[in-house]
Amino acid sequence: MSRSRPYDVHEMRPGRVNIWQRGVPVWEAPIFTPTFVLLLLFIAIGTVLAGMRFMGGLGPFVGSTDEYAWGVWKTFNVMALTALGSGAMAIGIAAWVFHKKELHSIMRAALVTSFLFYFTGLVGLITDVGRPWNMWNALLPWKWNTESALWEVTIAMPIYCLIFLAFENSPLIVERIWFTGNKKQRDRIRKWRPRMRSIYPFMIAGAFVVPIGHQSSLGGLLVLAGDKVHPLWQSPVLPLLYLFQAAICGVAFVIVCVMASCLVWRRPLDMKVIGSLAKLLSGLILFWLVFRFADLIIRGQLGQAFELDAVSIAFLIENLLVLIPALVLLKPRLRETPRVAFTMALLACVGGLLYRFLPTTVTYSPGVEYIYFPSVAELLITAGLMSMAGAAYILAVKLFAVLPAPLRSWYAMMDHAKHERDSERKADA
Amino acid sequence: MVAAPFGLALTEKVRAQDVAETLEKARRPSVIWLHFQDCTGCTETLLRTSQPDVAELILHLISLDYHETLMAAAGKQAEAALHDAMKENAGKYILIVEGSIPQKDNGIYAKIAGKTAIESLTEVSANAAAIIAIGSCASWGGIPSSGPNPTGAVGVDSIIKDKPIVNIPGCPPNPYTLLGVALQYATAGTLPKLDDEKRPLFAFDRYIHDHCPRRAHFDAGEFAEQFGDAGHEQGWCLYQLGCKGPVTHAGCSTRHFNETPGVWPIGIGAPCVGCTERDIAFKMPIFDKAPVPDPKPPATYPAVTAPSGQIDPIATGLVGFGVGAVVAGAYVASRKFSDKPGDVSVPGTEGESEKETSEE
Amino acid sequence: MSGYSRRDFLRTCGGTGLAVAAASSPVEARTPPKVPADAVGMLYDTTLCIGCKACVAACTEANDLVPDTALSGGLWQTPTALNSQTKNIIKLYQGETDWSFVKQQCMHCLDPACVSGCPFQALTKGDKGIVAWNPKQCIGCRYCEVVCPFKIPKFEWEKFNPKIVKCQMCDHRLDEFSQPACTQVCPTGAVTFGQRRMLLNEAKNRIAKNPGTYHEERVYGEKDGGGTQVLYLSHVPFGAIGLPKLSDKSLPSYGSKVHRMMTWFMVLPIMLYVFFVTLVRKNWREHDEEAMQAETEQGLRDQL
Repeated sequence: MSRSRPYDVHEMRPGRVNIWQRGVPVWEAPIFTPTFVLLLLFIAIGTVLAGMRFMGGLGPFVGSTDEYAWGVWKTFNVMALTALGSGAMAIGIAAWVFHKKELHSIMRAALVTSFLFYFTGLVGLITDVGRPWNMWNALLPWKWNTESALWEVTIAMPIYCLIFLAFENSPLIVERIWFTGNKKQRDRIRKWRPRMRSIYPFMIAGAFVVPIGHQSSLGGLLVLAGDKVHPLWQSPVLPLLYLFQAAICGVAFVIVCVMASCLVWRRPLDMKVIGSLAKLLSGLILFWLVFRFADLIIRGQLGQAFELDAVSIAFLIENLLVLIPALVLLKPRLRETPRVAFTMALLACVGGLLYRFLPTTVTYSPGVEYIYFPSVAELLITAGLMSMAGAAYILAVKLFAVLPAPLRSWYAMMDHAKHERDSERKADA
Repeated sequence: MVAAPFGLALTEKVRAQDVAETLEKARRPSVIWLHFQDCTGCTETLLRTSQPDVAELILHLISLDYHETLMAAAGKQAEAALHDAMKENAGKYILIVEGSIPQKDNGIYAKIAGKTAIESLTEVSANAAAIIAIGSCASWGGIPSSGPNPTGAVGVDSIIKDKPIVNIPGCPPNPYTLLGVALQYATAGTLPKLDDEKRPLFAFDRYIHDHCPRRAHFDAGEFAEQFGDAGHEQGWCLYQLGCKGPVTHAGCSTRHFNETPGVWPIGIGAPCVGCTERDIAFKMPIFDKAPVPDPKPPATYPAVTAPSGQIDPIATGLVGFGVGAVVAGAYVASRKFSDKPGDVSVPGTEGESEKETSEE
Repeated sequence: MSGYSRRDFLRTCGGTGLAVAAASSPVEARTPPKVPADAVGMLYDTTLCIGCKACVAACTEANDLVPDTALSGGLWQTPTALNSQTKNIIKLYQGETDWSFVKQQCMHCLDPACVSGCPFQALTKGDKGIVAWNPKQCIGCRYCEVVCPFKIPKFEWEKFNPKIVKCQMCDHRLDEFSQPACTQVCPTGAVTFGQRRMLLNEAKNRIAKNPGTYHEERVYGEKDGGGTQVLYLSHVPFGAIGLPKLSDKSLPSYGSKVHRMMTWFMVLPIMLYVFFVTLVRKNWREHDEEAMQAETEQGLRDQL
């Protein structure tokens, strides 16, 4: 089955052999599968509802009240899901700064998922603000309130997503044009390639600094809320805790996403890469847990964790969901076991999401007599946003070379393309 | 009681005698009173005065030169009196109009002495100094104008546009309003301040609701629900029975009628029907509830913390469904992955055939 | 850590060290906003309030608000709390043995959390210290609602063009009437208007002249939450009338040192950027060489 070409083996590291040698589009699967159509349906429902919300005002479409002024969009789609979208930042730093070369094989997947989470987060943000026509104030520096954490998020998120991440994702598109385009396009690409490559390192560095800023500001948002955020979460170092949690969620999600993609589209796994990611994940989680509990002890709030009321149980679950993966993934054997790696990374994702989401909604308490639950329209729009990310990911994976695979998948694709061209010519002739 | 409305407040350095003397000294102004589509109720209400009574009024205070109900003359003599009064007092007489004026079919539905109401009104008002439209009919059409208004009845100010008009709506209005306006004109030569419906402000600037003796019951939420029930007997607010007090400008709640305190509709337990207002009277059903234009806080207090927010069961169901789907999917997916360490095969296949790749 | 050389390690330490040095450098604590000497305020005394609600009616009229009659079917103005139609409200606390009326409206804090948190300065502290909302700069993010410890700003959820609604001490008619509508109509002087320092003196005088009357023998708002311009004297516990227990540090100053550190002339972000660029460029050169080599070997374009 394997072709014996001299260049099948691409040794990235001495003594190790990679399975994931090259990103390859999922060319063998059609685009319009039942899942894809279902996601499109959710997107359609969400879009219609969002359109109605713009015409009719926020009130009828959200379950928010003045006490729970932020519903699910800002807290889940922006604060929580962009944590899952921090893979580009965390894995990028690990690969480019800490020189973990094997992680380059999943950089593209991390970049695509990050871009999509951030983009849908931005769409969610626009849907959530009540007076979007004043957003042009974002372009006027003298109207800025630089003291505000929300200002940082509002300015930095679009810059990160639409400039840095877009730039870092452009090689995908350029590559597709190269292989499917005409001569004029290839000439232009050949001309611009060196220039793009020369500014690439500067963009990469920027793509680390900017999310460090706004991921910590997302935590800073809660600092100003004071006593409304439960003491188990509220802390002056919330920004730093949120930042590291973002890194954890990002790494965990990339593991889950790439493994699930390999499952769905029948690609072999490279457990060395996954194992390396899992080791990184474990280290990050342990560091974060120590930091967090040190903060709790210094603030004297540790006792609250064991009162066994609803809040403390939520707190304990949230911590266990990251502690268990951290401990399990300490062992190299378990790290490289697919089922364990997948399940543990999934638990870490959930735990991380809970950490970002609980203090903003579930354990956020303006007073005991106030309750909040998202309305149906709110939930459907959230589902629409997530479906947008999912459908876009599926599309990206099939159109562009995102998912890593062995070289022979690439050659199989080229053969298939050549075969199609030949049969077209035969049909024309 | 009459002096106060037209500014000769007795609290100023004017005594009642001086007022009486002033009134005596003024040449008795000429008043011409025309009736059109009326029930003569406004004339009747004028008869229920005592300060001054009608005799004092028409004998000493004004010169009532033409009044179809009260004058002694009839027929041609009456017409002659009218023409004479108009000629002698041209430009100085007050025209009081009672009853609405039909416009349909050239106004044939009210004809007196061979002339239609429109002709009559136009002719007499031409030389009048001012016109007082007494009653809702003359002010805006009243009962004859209620749907379907078969005669095209309208008020005076729809016909006459070039003379000062004072509307005194009501069905009937309180006679002292008329007396106040007329005597102010007679002595001082001025008309009182009017609102944008040409009604004198001194009588029409407030809603009945704002001056109602039963207002405290309204504020406390004590309503009569049915005629004759306990609340009704105790004199509670009649809002639930359709009282139009909140949307009706009039002075009935302070002046009452027949010079007897308590003798006015609400005072005897009958909800106000809004007889002065053109959009309410004979148009809005009597027992329909009026909107309250300027609500004030009631006599109850909210608690320091009031709950808010609600949980939609459908939403809870959706979230449960979604979470369940994700958990189930995750479980199924995780089972598909192999539990052999270092297994690089395609997930979901039972470790087939990838050994070559892993050995290369 | 293969691929991560000793030199890289030293660089990491150096970068972190620089960052920590910048962090502990003498960065001044955040300066809270300047409060003018003639800052105005209101003093509300629960022992004088008779619950007549003239202030509620006057506020509605002076601010051109549509009365909230939802619960009464149009008959009375019946808000149960401050909302988008109610900037001022009288509530009743009824305890087992004690009771009190309480007037609720914006506290016009000396260092407001809403002003600190608003991304585009839609809420600002004006020249008399009044916290006012500017519709031209508000994007409707409702962060002010999230951060206000008194839960004051209210949002017009049902409107297409929603506003943030809260007491602004009738600043649109202060020139004409020289005091807000509520203090103007109060029949007992339970709520009075004036310069904050004068009201503070007055409050302390009352406490001194009536020992044992006022809770905790102090005026709420002198230091609570960093100080507020609306002061409360109460004969029942402050918590019972809805005034939260706050530290003397204002919310914006809590955690401000960390934030101030991060953004001090952008020094830290710039240093971080320089640190990253140095390391990334070094690794990039290596990556680039390997990539070009692989390209010539395989004949396949490198994937960034």
